Amino acid sequence: MGGSLLEQLPLFLSYSNIAFLAQALGVTVALSIVGCVIGYSVGALLAFIRNRHVVDLWPARVLSVGFSETFRRVPFLIKLMVVFFAFEVVGLSVSMFTVTATTVALAAAAFSAEIMRAGLEALPEGQWDASESMNMGGVMSLRLWALPQSWRVILPPALSFTVGLIKSTSIASQISVFELTYAAKVLDQKGFSPVLSFGSLLVLYFIICYPLNLYARRLERKLERPQGAPAMLAEAGAV
Amino acid sequence: MAYTLQWGQVVGFTGYLIGGAWLALQIAFLAFVGGIAIATINATVLSYSKNRVLRAVVSSYVAFFMNTPVLVQIFFLFFALPEMGVFLSSYQAVLLGLTLNVSGYLTETLRAGFQSVSKAEIEAAETLGMSVTQMTWYVILPHIIRVLYPPLSNQYILLTMTTSIASIFGLEELTGRAYNVSAETFRSFEVFSMSAVLYVVLTFVASAVLWLIGRYVFRVKARLV
Repeated sequence: MGGSLLEQLPLFLSYSNIAFLAQALGVTVALSIVGCVIGYSVGALLAFIRNRHVVDLWPARVLSVGFSETFRRVPFLIKLMVVFFAFEVVGLSVSMFTVTATTVALAAAAFSAEIMRAGLEALPEGQWDASESMNMGGVMSLRLWALPQSWRVILPPALSFTVGLIKSTSIASQISVFELTYAAKVLDQKGFSPVLSFGSLLVLYFIICYPLNLYARRLERKLERPQGAPAMLAEAGAV
Repeated sequence: MAYTLQWGQVVGFTGYLIGGAWLALQIAFLAFVGGIAIATINATVLSYSKNRVLRAVVSSYVAFFMNTPVLVQIFFLFFALPEMGVFLSSYQAVLLGLTLNVSGYLTETLRAGFQSVSKAEIEAAETLGMSVTQMTWYVILPHIIRVLYPPLSNQYILLTMTTSIASIFGLEELTGRAYNVSAETFRSFEVFSMSAVLYVVLTFVASAVLWLIGRYVFRVKARLV
């Protein structure tokens, strides 16, 4: 058994296979980056409108809480299917890449809003009073002192959440997006040993995710979260 | 071609879908219990063992399961293990995969909880002449439960959502049944939106129950939303 695996290894590590996997890896990374950039921007906006010191409007708060509570509680696979068919319902024909990127963005927005909300809430109430007495508006407060302080609470969990998102993109293989997991399934169906195709997949994901997680942990230790900061928020990601 | 939403065909399947949610809850519960068992051993090793090799093994275990997608882990169990002579049914593969995966995360959680018990606390208990059992029961456990309860219930909810992956391996839990209904009625958007709502309700009820237990049994101070 082990013998035949070893025999297959050089065949498996052919140039075409490596190029194939590298290309798929690129798609996985692209999905994660596009989804994160859009999702985190929306998430930041949601976190800002939820904070009563920044925007004091209850409809905005309801919208923000509703959005993140809903999308945090729907599994990635179901979100993916809903987005997929929603595009069909409104009559837009888009690529599977767009469908997945939209789903990643939705997940990222919902979870990152929660992470940033907690980061903003970790700030002492007195500072908001002080800035109000100096007639600072919400946006100005955010820019001048709130974000400069809370980013150190926000960044570590946001990073480890990003790892969760990267891992979630593997589910996109279900709707035939040509990303890493799909590529490995193709290799498996071509007749390569599943031990090799799925084993190399595990290794590749590990290579992307491990350094990020390691960096998140180092950052967390370095930035020393101030008291009152949330522990373990959204750690496992939006599966 | 315009798409007309038709909920009527789908609403009749609500009971069928809720039956699937019940299976999802079962899988999540079993995986969580198994995960806690493994994680307790792991976290004990990481926190208290002086054996370097053992600790390295446990930390690589944790790093592996935290840095690879659970879907791929189950793929490996389901498709690659038969090549090594281990045959798992899809239910076994999913359950084992979820258990192993969640055990990695739980190890980290438990370890943080163990570390939150300070040396001074234990020394104080020793000074009072408490035995190890007394110390565990009256000092360490009450402290640890209060620290660990919120992140553990968080993990449990996330795990319940992760069970949707089981549908990829043909299990008929909530997501799997949603696929069935969508194949039968061709009302895909309606079915999947409805399952999304069911997941929201399911996890929200689970959160609320866990919050109530935490609030009134363990006196944990945590917010619900």
